Amino acid sequence: MSDYIVLVKQVPDVSQITDNAFDPNTGNLIRTRLPSVINELDAQALAFARRMAFLAGDQKARIIALTMGPPMATDVLRYSLARCADIAILLTDKALGGADTWATANPLAWAIRKIAKEMLQDSQDYYIVAGMQSVDGDTAQVPPQIAEELNIPCVSYITDAHFQQGRFTFTRIISGGSQTVQLRRMPAVLTVAKYEYPLFASFQRTRQASKIPLIQWDARTIQAKAVGVEGSKTRVIRVFPPGKTTRKCQPVHSAKELAQVIAQSLRQASAGEQAQEKGRAAYLLPARRKSPFDRSFEGTAKELEDFQVLTQILQEMKITRLEEITDQVCEKILQDPRVDFHKKALEDMIEGYRLTDPTYKGEVWVVAEQDENGIHPAVFELLGKARELADSLEVQTGVVLAGKSARPLADSLIAAGADKVYLLEHPLLEPFDPFVWRKAVSDVWEKYRPQIVLFAATPQGRVLAPMVSYRTGCGLTADCTGLDIRDSSRKKQIAILFQTRPALGGNVMATICTKDSPCQMATARPGVMKRLDDNPSRRGTIVSHWVQLREEDRSLEILRTEKGTGKVHFDSDCIVSGGKGMQNRDNYDRLLNLLCTAIRDRFAVSVEKGASRTAVEQGFAERIYQVGQTGTAVGPKLYIAVGISGAIQHMIGIANTETIAAINTDPHAPIFKQCDYYLIGSAEQVIPQLAEELRTMG
Amino acid sequence: MSTPQANPVSVLIIGAGPAGLSAAIHLKKNHPELDVVVIDKASGPGHHNLSGAVVESAALERLLNPIELNWQTSEQAKKVLIGQVQQDDLLFLAGKCAAFKILPAIHLAKALGLGFGQLSHRGDWICSLSRLTAWLCELAQKAGVEVLHGFAAGEILWNEQTHLAEGVRLVDQGLDKEGHPQPNFLPGEIIPARIILIAEGCDGQIAEQFIQKAGLRRRSPQLFSLGVKELIKVSPQQYEAFGNGRVVHAMGYPLWTPLIGPGMFGGGILYPMGAEQIAVGMIVGLDYPYYDFNPQDALTLLKQHRWVRRFIEGGKVIEGGAKMIPEGGFHALPRCPQTGSIGKSNVCLLGDSAGFVNMLKIKGIHNAVYSGLAAAEAVGANLDTPAAVARCYTRLLEENGVLKEMASAKNFRQTVAKFGPLQGLPLSVLGDWLPQFSVEPDWKTMRRRRYRLKPAVRFDKDTLTAVAGTAHREEQPCHLTIRNAAVCKEKCQPLFEAPCITFCPAGVYESIQGAVKPANPSNCLHCKTCQRKCPFDNIRWRCPEPNGGPKYKTM
Repeated sequence: MSDYIVLVKQVPDVSQITDNAFDPNTGNLIRTRLPSVINELDAQALAFARRMAFLAGDQKARIIALTMGPPMATDVLRYSLARCADIAILLTDKALGGADTWATANPLAWAIRKIAKEMLQDSQDYYIVAGMQSVDGDTAQVPPQIAEELNIPCVSYITDAHFQQGRFTFTRIISGGSQTVQLRRMPAVLTVAKYEYPLFASFQRTRQASKIPLIQWDARTIQAKAVGVEGSKTRVIRVFPPGKTTRKCQPVHSAKELAQVIAQSLRQASAGEQAQEKGRAAYLLPARRKSPFDRSFEGTAKELEDFQVLTQILQEMKITRLEEITDQVCEKILQDPRVDFHKKALEDMIEGYRLTDPTYKGEVWVVAEQDENGIHPAVFELLGKARELADSLEVQTGVVLAGKSARPLADSLIAAGADKVYLLEHPLLEPFDPFVWRKAVSDVWEKYRPQIVLFAATPQGRVLAPMVSYRTGCGLTADCTGLDIRDSSRKKQIAILFQTRPALGGNVMATICTKDSPCQMATARPGVMKRLDDNPSRRGTIVSHWVQLREEDRSLEILRTEKGTGKVHFDSDCIVSGGKGMQNRDNYDRLLNLLCTAIRDRFAVSVEKGASRTAVEQGFAERIYQVGQTGTAVGPKLYIAVGISGAIQHMIGIANTETIAAINTDPHAPIFKQCDYYLIGSAEQVIPQLAEELRTMG
Repeated sequence: MSTPQANPVSVLIIGAGPAGLSAAIHLKKNHPELDVVVIDKASGPGHHNLSGAVVESAALERLLNPIELNWQTSEQAKKVLIGQVQQDDLLFLAGKCAAFKILPAIHLAKALGLGFGQLSHRGDWICSLSRLTAWLCELAQKAGVEVLHGFAAGEILWNEQTHLAEGVRLVDQGLDKEGHPQPNFLPGEIIPARIILIAEGCDGQIAEQFIQKAGLRRRSPQLFSLGVKELIKVSPQQYEAFGNGRVVHAMGYPLWTPLIGPGMFGGGILYPMGAEQIAVGMIVGLDYPYYDFNPQDALTLLKQHRWVRRFIEGGKVIEGGAKMIPEGGFHALPRCPQTGSIGKSNVCLLGDSAGFVNMLKIKGIHNAVYSGLAAAEAVGANLDTPAAVARCYTRLLEENGVLKEMASAKNFRQTVAKFGPLQGLPLSVLGDWLPQFSVEPDWKTMRRRRYRLKPAVRFDKDTLTAVAGTAHREEQPCHLTIRNAAVCKEKCQPLFEAPCITFCPAGVYESIQGAVKPANPSNCLHCKTCQRKCPFDNIRWRCPEPNGGPKYKTM
């Protein structure tokens, strides 16, 4: 008999974001304006736990819902009780507030220890089930970090479970496919990526749920070691609205013109890259700057501005050396009308001028990920970024390459920018088992102590990174889209990594820095950073690192790995979507395939099909192809909408797209006001012409 | 993981609106020992409640005085009640630009004791019904009522032998599009109940089912109108110019222009909603004849009218919605043929489920409240004799003035329906002396006539459904049924070009490869106009899984 501890979280309902929810002055999201709901994947986790108990025929299985949050988080516990939970526990304490994933995982793990001891009679036979990530944080870090704290395995991205001969087999998502696994040890953390059948509230249970007293624990009861802001290893520097793109809404008049638009959109570098290229000058270490007063690489606009004012004043006072800044000078500075900071701030800034040494030392690392097709493309992108960071910091880049016999892959990494390849070869490193890998990667980290470690935010990286970071005592920022070296002189930090990432479902951006950690770690989204051009003549060193691994380190029995079946590649460069205007399934398949093939052949880019909700409803395409608020949100370089009217629910789902082109017969179609290029015409006419143009164009 | 056994509920109230909550609050207050359970299909308090609204202060006093000391000055009241009507403008719009104030005529009518005189709102509270409802939910919960959202009644269990209702069955959840159970299938639970109060709102599914099963009759068919409403964020100057204590009702254009047409019953409203927001709405009687007409077109034209435009021009629509109103009045009240009770034995019909809207006042919330209070009293007096509740309830409605007020407006709407606004409005002045005219249900009134004022710009239904926050779980059987597809193809499309596509405020219906289908059931606002206005009575609305539908906050 197994028991189930389900982690549930209360989150703002980001599907309900209206303009009302944003502060008109700052553009920030006002969280209190959003209703609170249970994190959808946690609702799925709850249903998944019940499903497991049902599959195992386990009548006596207990389901315990555990949440950490403010007192109002009782709502998600009532939600759980109304469906299947037998016991509900609220972990609430002011001291727990403001925590990052580290200081969330730690108290939750301690609460789980307490549950196991007091409620499950020290049984080892239980599962901790959680949603793969929460919709507000999107980090996917807490469950693997809990596993690390408890030193138990973590099976992530689970989509299904079966029960045979007294054992569960789990189906999970891996990069480009799926895998079937069994656990070798218990207890274990399971994270649910997609289980489409959340439970409905039962009337009788709901009535009962409102009457059951909840169990409430505070930080002292559970004796957690790291809580709240104090226990966190990252801090949020600032939160800001994502840059809004305005669409061009230009008409094009022929298939030929549209073909040119397609060519141009696909060849053009993405906006993120452009911004970076034309952006600020590359970071210079303070020691390299001409003047000790040069603080033009501060991380926030406010600090940048204050230092600018101060430097200007010092210049006017003809002060060139730090020693010349006396108390009298300070007095004078503070009386200057341009100054809007206080004495303490001024002292901090002057102190900041004295700092020239980088806060962190060591190399910039990337942890590689590979399969039988070679290194994952995201690793090369990260390496491009690592190279840039390392050049600024005047240190070397390193790649951790782990596998059974991975040496042949080392050269490609050196050609792509690695100075060193740390080679970890061991039979147990293949196939990927997070429990084995986290041990190996932490081991090599311990020996060489890099200052930055980057992981790709792939299903593999998103389970490995949290475990490694927790094991090594480092803060971790998930899914970064921007990584920059900057100073925070006033906080006495020089040349630290500013990590920028979207949060709350992409509705806000946050810049985050690591704190109280020996190293800065981040995962970065595939497709955002830019790969360097290969240089086969580059020289690099291969450093073999021997790591001791044992059979007992394995946590998973991998039964089957399947690649590329039944998966939709919405991370493609180009997505061609069909709507109601496709008329029928035949047209949808024939015309969209024709256009996809034409684009793929012509530009050698990845292309995927998509569909509007109506098209799915009408049976033109399977639901996995649905793009939009209720389907999948996508952000390709080019999105071609064919016969899609442009309902707001659809447009929200493609908001992150670089270029949107629309084809529609209706000249008043709302999509024409929300796209970059549009062509009035029917799919049946336009697409064959367009395919022909693409084939023949110069 | 075992699910507890079902205990019968003492009093089950279907629908957490003003009527149901009024009943619940007073019942629980007077009989704390009873378990009073209110269920609602919406996902949260007020999410399915939409009105203008102006509420008679006397109704709020009778509802709130006994339960909440100094409710007028409470924090909640400040949030919910925008202000009392100080300026009450009744306009007659003539064409796109002209507007005449006709309130003096109403005052004259009042002085002469004519029915029309009831159309005055001074002193009424201006509020958003969704907010008022959310507040009442809070008060109910505070009083100990179990208000459970996310539970939709699908069937009333009526015992033919005992003539008593035994409970309700909730709608099934977790069926796929074809109706096959999914792994999370939850068959509709049965809630046994001793007494049931139906307060579902306009054209309620359980109400209509109960009327059929229990053999209740209406003397005249229920008539409906559709209200469409938008909440517009305007500039501080515009809001200031409009004023916080003013309500505007507009007759005439674009629904009715004497002699030259069009000739429809209804009108526009402009109410202030606080925080620089103005609610603009259009209410149109569904007995209109134009097959290409859509009440939202009339709203568009109202918003473009010169008199209206200055208050809202440049504003942003931040919320919107649509809902039907039962307008049939006194003659359309469903009654037991034997006893005349509005309900039968242990079941009562409350508020809009019965149809307590007074069309002379164009208000119904006060009657919803009074009917709730009457029901609470009737239940309290008959705890041991549940079968006598409905009769007692009806008697109390006579005594507390609801039925008297309904009777005073009894011929108004039918007269207009029969003769059109031009002759009907003046005729209705004769009120009480007129005979009861037999009228046709709304679905029979469509003709092959076009609405000649049709605006060039199509109303943006997608944005409306987005700001209404409406959505349903997509993988469930379609809750809208076209009874006979051949009727659409062979009769309706040739004659009327499938008007459901046009009039559905949420754009649920579409023609796909020539066939009319409820293609976007997920957008449905639960207004049910389709099942009342389809010119061939060919559409049926069934309650979908709960937690779907709109999520009104300030409607």
